[in-house]
Amino acid sequence: MPKCTIDGREVEFKAGENLIEVARKVGIEIPYFCYHPGLSIVAQCRMCAVEIEKMPKLQTACSTPAGDGMVVKTRSERAKQNQKAIMEFLLINHPLDCPVCDKAGECDLQDFSYKYGDSYMRYMEERRTYVDLDMGPVIKKNMNRCIHCTRCIRFGTEVAGIHEMVAVKRGNNTEITTIDGRPLETDYAGNYADICPTGSLTLKDFRFKKRSWFLKKTATICEGCSRGCNMELQHEANMVYRSIPRTNMDVNQYWMCDEGRFNYRHLQDPSRVTKPTKSGSFVDWSAALSEARAVTQGKKTAVFVGTDLTQEEISMVIQFAQKSLPNSTVVHFGTPGVNSAADDAALDKILKRKSKTANLHGAEKLGLKGSNTATGYQAAVVFSGGRSNVAALMKDVKVPAVGVGVFTDETKGGFSVILPGAGFSEKDGTIVNFNGVEQKLKRAVLPPGQSKATSEILMMWSNQSGAQASATAGARV
Amino acid sequence: MLVKRKAPLLSGIYVTDIISGMAKTIYQFFFGRRVTVQYPEERRQYSDRFRGMHYIKATNGVENCTACMLCPTVCPAECIHIEAGERPDKEKYPIKFEIDVLRCCFCGMCEEACPKDAIKLSTIYEMSTEARKVYDKDYLLEQRGHK
Repeated sequence: MPKCTIDGREVEFKAGENLIEVARKVGIEIPYFCYHPGLSIVAQCRMCAVEIEKMPKLQTACSTPAGDGMVVKTRSERAKQNQKAIMEFLLINHPLDCPVCDKAGECDLQDFSYKYGDSYMRYMEERRTYVDLDMGPVIKKNMNRCIHCTRCIRFGTEVAGIHEMVAVKRGNNTEITTIDGRPLETDYAGNYADICPTGSLTLKDFRFKKRSWFLKKTATICEGCSRGCNMELQHEANMVYRSIPRTNMDVNQYWMCDEGRFNYRHLQDPSRVTKPTKSGSFVDWSAALSEARAVTQGKKTAVFVGTDLTQEEISMVIQFAQKSLPNSTVVHFGTPGVNSAADDAALDKILKRKSKTANLHGAEKLGLKGSNTATGYQAAVVFSGGRSNVAALMKDVKVPAVGVGVFTDETKGGFSVILPGAGFSEKDGTIVNFNGVEQKLKRAVLPPGQSKATSEILMMWSNQSGAQASATAGARV
Repeated sequence: MLVKRKAPLLSGIYVTDIISGMAKTIYQFFFGRRVTVQYPEERRQYSDRFRGMHYIKATNGVENCTACMLCPTVCPAECIHIEAGERPDKEKYPIKFEIDVLRCCFCGMCEEACPKDAIKLSTIYEMSTEARKVYDKDYLLEQRGHK
């Protein structure tokens, strides 16, 4: 392997890697704004310029591939002077509104100005200001904060496949905007906020909700479709505030769609059923469980397993059905029109898949078949994590039904009993994506109200002395 | 080894010490400077840097606070609770600004952290109440002890 020297340390690299990536391997940080590993390289912010021996001028590290025997100095006097000058230049027109800005705390410009910039400013003239147009429901734009890195423009053309962000005017008057000031159309608009190195593009949904440094972070998987994008739930005090994509080159690279990004909200729906419910009114767990037993006792039962359940939960349901519901058949359901793994296909050229539940391929792996009807059965049990389309299923299911899992006012119709369970942000488990990649869900928050994990519900249900089990479970909470 | 010394007679029975002590007390009592004040009638002058009751500074009737959350971040007692919002004349402002004074330890770090000169500690120290007091935004905006 070829070697180069960065700040006196020898680094091995693969041919074609640029200096930023090579330096990162040994923990040397080269500051940058316009570079993004998932986008093309333009080298226009000049922040990453480093000194390379035998080269007369500073070279931008993002656009310079490492060469064998190259000697790079990232903190030499000339490089430092350049970083300081570039920081001062970028901050000339940047407003000092970090207290107002949502990006504060995770802002590249803020971090690098502390590390590489100067606390002193020579610019005394009036700052350049813009008037902002509405950017649609996802993104809030504040052009005054922009440093013209053009990451958003490149993201639109190269990843989202839609040329909607453009730079109009030239020089000092450059303005980044959408064509004709139209709202954003792409389904991947949330990524604009992620890649923006300043607070110019921020999420409307997250606006002023919480400061970024208060949030706890849990690495988990999106349950929005069978892609299984890696993401990070950011939460505090049992409330999820936002989710951002994690990098996984095999699954979702750096990106995430808006549907998955805002999917956590359905679990915080105020109309979610969080208490055991018997024909519309709240009851305690033992009453709900005995009613559930009465509904299914000795009857031919169809057990519908939502494909948003984890592998562990599905196999538990299969075991439970064999033991406690002797006359039952276990089938899976999820998205109308996607009854088996063969029906699942890509919905667009980027990430989205047809199956709107994450674990369709896992359920098939466990030997379940898809079905949408309960004809020929006398009772039904529906397991759902809140993402499976229960409303569509219940149109066809006319028999007395027990619902286990996440239900809201919209989906609770048609059920005799509802036993509230946990959604994807409230449980640990494994899900299998369309490529067969097994990934782990991690619990970020606790199930709300009296909701319980599926395992606990099944245990209480199958236990003959159900009242006692629920009493001890209640005491433990 | 402990050596027991015999004390001189006069100091042994403390006569001189008692007399000199009494003289000092009598001098202080009749001619010395008083160290106490008659509190409700008389008040002591405190320094401007005294850390007493909080208030939020307002300029032209608009609160200086932009709900940047630096004071709840730095607060060691975690007694400040802020909720941010947006209104036409101000991009970000606190909808809710509450200080639980019983938990407050009057360290003044909130004042120090504030980038907008909004939260301040006045020199007011008479803050006793009959019930547990949580200062809300309206109360804090009354500019008590403005300086």
